[in-house]
Amino acid sequence: MDRIDGGAEASIYECDIFGVKALAKVREPKRYRVKILDDELRKTRTRREAKVLALLMLKNVPVPAVLAVGEYVIFMEKLEGVLLRDADKGKEFYEKVGNVVRDMHNAGVAHGDMTTANIIAVGNTPYVIDLGLAEITVSVEEKALDILLMKRSLGESLYAKFLSGYSDRNINYKTVMNRLFDIEKRGRYQVRTLQ
Amino acid sequence: MAVLGIESSAHTFGVGVVERGRILANEKSMYRITNKGMIPAEVAEFHIANAAGTIERALSVSKLHIEDITGVGYTRGPGLGPCLQVGQLSAKTMAMKLNVPIVPVNHGLAHVEITKHVAGLKDPLGLYVSGGNSQILKFDSAAHRYSVLGETFDIGIGNMLDAFGRALGLEHAWGSEIEKLAMRGRYIQLPYTVKGMDFAFTGLLTKAKGLVKSEKREDLCFSVQETSFAMLCEATERALLLSKSKELCVCGGVAQNSRLAEMLGIMADEHGIRFARAPNEYNSDNGAMIALVAEKMLSKGLEVPLDRCDFEQRYRIDEAVFNG
Repeated sequence: MDRIDGGAEASIYECDIFGVKALAKVREPKRYRVKILDDELRKTRTRREAKVLALLMLKNVPVPAVLAVGEYVIFMEKLEGVLLRDADKGKEFYEKVGNVVRDMHNAGVAHGDMTTANIIAVGNTPYVIDLGLAEITVSVEEKALDILLMKRSLGESLYAKFLSGYSDRNINYKTVMNRLFDIEKRGRYQVRTLQ
Repeated sequence: MAVLGIESSAHTFGVGVVERGRILANEKSMYRITNKGMIPAEVAEFHIANAAGTIERALSVSKLHIEDITGVGYTRGPGLGPCLQVGQLSAKTMAMKLNVPIVPVNHGLAHVEITKHVAGLKDPLGLYVSGGNSQILKFDSAAHRYSVLGETFDIGIGNMLDAFGRALGLEHAWGSEIEKLAMRGRYIQLPYTVKGMDFAFTGLLTKAKGLVKSEKREDLCFSVQETSFAMLCEATERALLLSKSKELCVCGGVAQNSRLAEMLGIMADEHGIRFARAPNEYNSDNGAMIALVAEKMLSKGLEVPLDRCDFEQRYRIDEAVFNG
């Protein structure tokens, strides 16, 4: 297995499963914390992420397919596409991104790190990736934070397109947007991005 | 060319003297905290009683006369209003009397800066952990200020440790008492709250306080430390990779905890990053750090007219203009 990427949370390896190109997302041990806590965190987070991915797949939200799950590893389909951040997509595509985030939220999932670096354009379909911080939750706050992050990572006109996709036939649109307004007013959550 | 700095944001009235980056004196008078905690007005009274004496001591240790002071700095905030006010008034009086420039300094910024200075770091990611604050900081040279990459959603880690120590019936200083007891403890699972580069401590505190009667003190101290420090490490690690920093430092009162330093050291080591912390006298509140930053700011022409030298209890580090 070749390590192709990795952050603080997990390492990503490329591998072959049943002759199919796949990714292994491994939550490696952290030596700085006591083993019992380390094992517990890595296990629950792996389990939670796998559960989120499976749930979204069942609800027809485009996410990489889970192929196998171990205690500290998720094997998933390797998507052939371009990160939205680096992709040259027309404005209309962002409406689709809005649809996908809407469906994810209405499936009961908040992403936790919803930026253009965590969406892959596969052909003409936006896939949501890196659900390591995602939660299955009824919290409006978490969903509003996703929208806030998108707002910050998109320009004004792309954000408008995104919102038109997000609001389309979305019964929860008003609730989320009202909370977003509150959060921005509150100012405690300053969205901090580097780059 | 010597700058005198006054720190009085909490229980310490500190006076430091710095000359071209050399620390000539770092004197402190510390209010004795009881289990009641800190009553701001009482601490301020203590500062008033000790201000002149501490300034005199700092001058005598630095072997300077008051006329040798060419600039004054003081802590503008964050901190307790009545306490800040004593430092502010002392500094303004000195500046007026000596007719020298004066500059207000951000307390957290001074903690990071003195750590950089004594450890010889260039551009570190800073984890600033004290009673009221817990922040992950990085200097943004384009914006001339520090940016906050992550911080606590509720209380500072020091306040959490103090409150837990009081619930256990320990005496001040709770942090170091907890550290001692933790050496003989075993792990009990406690709430762990990290969101990206931010974290929260009240869930952990409530749970730990609820276990005081049923669990061993040593185990609880160990588990509170291990859980909260792991949270800080995880958030810091994320910030480290995102900001691509080559150096890491920890500063502030809780930075005196050896287990926290050990954990951060292990984490930094895995990424091949240099980790440092300053000696304890600079991690607890002190005047030298204020003098050091004030000297830098004055040399960059950041002096402030006397009538605009105020204090601000909630002075955020990302509001403080600094040219490094």
